[in-house]
Amino acid sequence: MKNQANPWLTGNLFVLALGMLPAAILIGALLYFTAWAFAFSFTDLALVGKKSVEWSWVGLENFERLFTRRGFLESLWTTVIFVFFSAIVGQSVLGFLLAATLRGTQSTIRSVVEVCIMLGWLLPDIVAAFLWSATTSQTGLINQLIVVPLGFPPINFINSYALLVVTIANIWKGTAWSYLLFSAALDSVSREVVEAAKVDGATPFQRIWLVQLPIIRPHIATNMLFITIWTFTYFPLIFAMTGGGPGRQTETLAVFLYNQSFSRGNLGFGSAISVAMLLIVGVLSLFYLRLLREPK
Amino acid sequence: MDNQPSRLTAIALAFMAVIWVSPFSWLILNAFNPLSTGQLEIPKAFGFDNFGLAVSGNAGRQFFNSIIIAAGTATLSVVVGISAAYPLSRLRIPGRNAFLWTLVLLRMLPSAGVLVPLYFAAQRSGLLNQLGVIVALTILNLPFTLLLLKNFFDTVPIELEEAAYVEGASLLQIVTKIVLPMSRAGIAVVWFFSFTGAWNEFLLPLIFARVQDAFPMSVGLYAAFGQQGAINYGFLTAFSILYAAPAIGVYFLLRRNMNTGFAGVGVKG
Repeated sequence: MKNQANPWLTGNLFVLALGMLPAAILIGALLYFTAWAFAFSFTDLALVGKKSVEWSWVGLENFERLFTRRGFLESLWTTVIFVFFSAIVGQSVLGFLLAATLRGTQSTIRSVVEVCIMLGWLLPDIVAAFLWSATTSQTGLINQLIVVPLGFPPINFINSYALLVVTIANIWKGTAWSYLLFSAALDSVSREVVEAAKVDGATPFQRIWLVQLPIIRPHIATNMLFITIWTFTYFPLIFAMTGGGPGRQTETLAVFLYNQSFSRGNLGFGSAISVAMLLIVGVLSLFYLRLLREPK
Repeated sequence: MDNQPSRLTAIALAFMAVIWVSPFSWLILNAFNPLSTGQLEIPKAFGFDNFGLAVSGNAGRQFFNSIIIAAGTATLSVVVGISAAYPLSRLRIPGRNAFLWTLVLLRMLPSAGVLVPLYFAAQRSGLLNQLGVIVALTILNLPFTLLLLKNFFDTVPIELEEAAYVEGASLLQIVTKIVLPMSRAGIAVVWFFSFTGAWNEFLLPLIFARVQDAFPMSVGLYAAFGQQGAINYGFLTAFSILYAAPAIGVYFLLRRNMNTGFAGVGVKG
């Protein structure tokens, strides 16, 4: 970073500053919108009607509603379950197992499996939602292939096990990311270390648990950070599959925010929900970043 | 590792791959069946009629809307990102670290969180249209783009630029002839992420686009399959395949660059 002696830079400071200007404006806008979201959360602003023009400050009323009215806490709980099972348990563990297993297999098997998983990841959210609605419907693949041949009446999975279905759909969709990240991470573990452990008589399980996992710990933390935040705020898949229903079974915070802000038009209350989400995501990030920095 | 891949592992993996792609069976069986009823069955007829429907009229228009939004967002993000990331990477600007940390925090921001102000700003400035979606997505995308591009520029050795300067190259030449080609993989990754992100984006266009022929494919598909009743499944499945194809295609086109660039995403965090 010793750049004071780089004449092509110091001689063109004006040009460089000009280059940074658009980004600075856009980032400034983002900061401004964030500040706005905070400000809105103290108002009774509405999407339509009288209160969309003549809104007033209501202090902490919106935040009180978060805890006193039904909705927010239930949504938070649904979100926690959804994040825990689909991202942390499903995507991470499955992604790691795949990455560890595929390293030892032939390249053809590896590419085939990789492409299959990637297809889910690359598929647009709405198509994935469409696909899983069809797969779990009463005449869908699961019923035709498993439930009916076993002699049970067909089950409408989205009606009966909505949260389970969206969780599985999200695992299906998101595992590729964890797989790719862990694959790159395992590549960075030097062969010698693993060989040495093998010579010392470590079993395959010990080699993974005691040697590789501690080495790729920063990657695990990074991965957790990303997928937790993404899943926490993930909207399209659930919204398109269930709209939050049946009832409120799959109404995660992102869906709750949308329903409150844009279906019911309570923008002030919606902003309070987003502020709460920001705080939760912030706390989670700090937690993972600590995990990332902590010395081994 | 060098442990022999056992037959059991191979079978388990193959089994998993089959499970993973099995939901696609319904999509493909219906898309190529002109008489599709939305059931999972072997089609009695075969043809491309559904794809014909999916590229004409409103549906075709939505395809172009998606292309405009995705390519526009990706290109705008990359151009704005590059012109700011290079000075950020090379100059010791006062407050640079504070700015970078702000970017890290902003990147963690759930986009749903700023949706309401974003909607209001767009409404006030008459940007509840495609241009508005492009600008909004670029704003949301920029922290990520900037951080990633800066990381890639950091890996370009400054000695090369010094040498080029001694040879008489101008700033523009140094950037276009040395820095950009050397960080090609990174730029490809950033462009790809922005493109697919915008291509898949559903929530923003759902709120911003109010008329059917302004919908991108994501909203168009949602609107079409949300309507219960006489659903034309053949059309919907063909439309889904057309919608999914570019996102998948771009990935496989850029795949080699992706793998190089991907390691950077993970480690730099």
